[in-house]
Amino acid sequence: SLCSSSLPLPPHPDEILHSLAGPPSPGGQDPHGWRGAVDCVRANELCAAEPGCSSRYRTLRQCLAGRDRNTMLANKECQAALEVLQESPLYDCRCKRGMKKELQCLQIYWSIHLGLAEGEEFYEASPYEPATSRLSDIFRLASIFSGMEPAATSKSNHCLDAAKACNLNDNCKRLRSGYISTCSRELSAAERCSRRKCHKALRQFFDRVPGEYTYRLLFCSCRDQACAERRRQTIVPSCSYEDKEKPNCLDLRSTCRADHLCRSRLADFHTNCQASFHKALSSPAVPPLILLPSPSPHPGAGFDMTPNYVDASTTSITISPNAIQAFGNGTDVNLSPKSPSLAVTLPAKTEQSPLLPDDINDSNTIYDPRIITTCTSLQEHGPKLNKSKEQSLCYSETQLTTDIMPEQKTFVDQKGGSSLHWAGRILPLVPLLLLLLAL
Amino acid sequence: SRRKRARARHKPCALKELEVSVSELGLGYESDETVLFRYCSGTCEAAVRSYDLSLKSMRSKKRIKKEKVRARPCCRPLAYDDDVSFLDAYNRYYTVNELSAKECGCV
Repeated sequence: SLCSSSLPLPPHPDEILHSLAGPPSPGGQDPHGWRGAVDCVRANELCAAEPGCSSRYRTLRQCLAGRDRNTMLANKECQAALEVLQESPLYDCRCKRGMKKELQCLQIYWSIHLGLAEGEEFYEASPYEPATSRLSDIFRLASIFSGMEPAATSKSNHCLDAAKACNLNDNCKRLRSGYISTCSRELSAAERCSRRKCHKALRQFFDRVPGEYTYRLLFCSCRDQACAERRRQTIVPSCSYEDKEKPNCLDLRSTCRADHLCRSRLADFHTNCQASFHKALSSPAVPPLILLPSPSPHPGAGFDMTPNYVDASTTSITISPNAIQAFGNGTDVNLSPKSPSLAVTLPAKTEQSPLLPDDINDSNTIYDPRIITTCTSLQEHGPKLNKSKEQSLCYSETQLTTDIMPEQKTFVDQKGGSSLHWAGRILPLVPLLLLLLAL
Repeated sequence: SRRKRARARHKPCALKELEVSVSELGLGYESDETVLFRYCSGTCEAAVRSYDLSLKSMRSKKRIKKEKVRARPCCRPLAYDDDVSFLDAYNRYYTVNELSAKECGCV
């Protein structure tokens, strides 16, 4: 029909990888249709300068106001406006994370794309430019994490080191202190803090401080509980994350989708985690860290859908939006009766996974083939999920990994020796992947 | 080398910095987190005013006897740095203000 054929698809993983790995294309050529795309604020200006475009755009906005997609498309005039706008720069426009007028840009983006989207999709295309623009950040990160080999640092606390690095940088220190003091300021006996202000301060921190500081604080690897608790405390969960009531994950998603910024970050997270994961595993030459380019190290931090580590475990990493514990309390205990030891602990993992290369077993890390399998498997089923399957995404990761255990062998076999190569560097990614599960 | 040391001790008032752990600050917080502590150090010979000279003279002539006065300018912070927040050993966050100097001067 009119819209389904012209849906903006997320970039194909091949394209992302190619554009990241390869040299810049000659002559400013635009191989993926991205580099040439203008941002939506600019596209809106171009459209406003053209009488045909601006009147259609106005029509479309009126069509969309308060109506669902089908009602809108039933109207001939709305349909025509949509068709014309698909030829305009507005249709291809994207936004940059942290750009000037970011919110305005996103509003323009969604004003067109809400009309194009097929109603309730599980995943949406990201309104943000793809990973290439953040490449420098990513490679700087690669050097940080590769310097974190376990041998020389058996006694060190990476999360404490990350805090030190931040404190010694004026910008990082200022914005970190900014959100910490906002998020830990008690208002009254009844109100622990101003959540709204706390989220805003967190957003500023993650938007304005370079990834080499923020990623390091969020994804530091831990050997002991003090370290893991410090990591969990990074976003001041008592204010930004914990809540009296744990809402349903789907309700939470709806709330997030009603907010342009939250919706965009969620879509961007889906695009970046999901799209490039599988591909990178099968091409070990590409540093797995390129998977990181979800523009925020913490896609939802500062929004209703704030994800965090659910506990201070050092060996199993579970990240979920603040809703998960409502489902996790007690339920996951009896969901995996066949393999109770799956509540992942390091010794148990050593016994259970003889397929793992030796040096992974004694690393300090969060690497766990089951977790990765979960992501891959979810990816395969992801877009086709029905409502009941979606619900299960809100259960704990332990349950999910149990469900897909049989696939583990396939995965490891397929990888073979090359897993050694990337295991150390992929570690920081795992939380992101798990976040996908939790969402 | 003695002359070198003497000269080092007579550097003019300026901002200096140290990396210290929060526990070392002596404020009663227990935390291994490292913070940057900036302080003012140096002499203020160039900043002596008629005020200081006259005050000294009044004191030597015993016109001022029992009061405590300071007849020399002092190297002190003119402005303080932004707040510093940290997580302590019991996983509580604290924010300390006016911990670190931002600008120094002879006052």
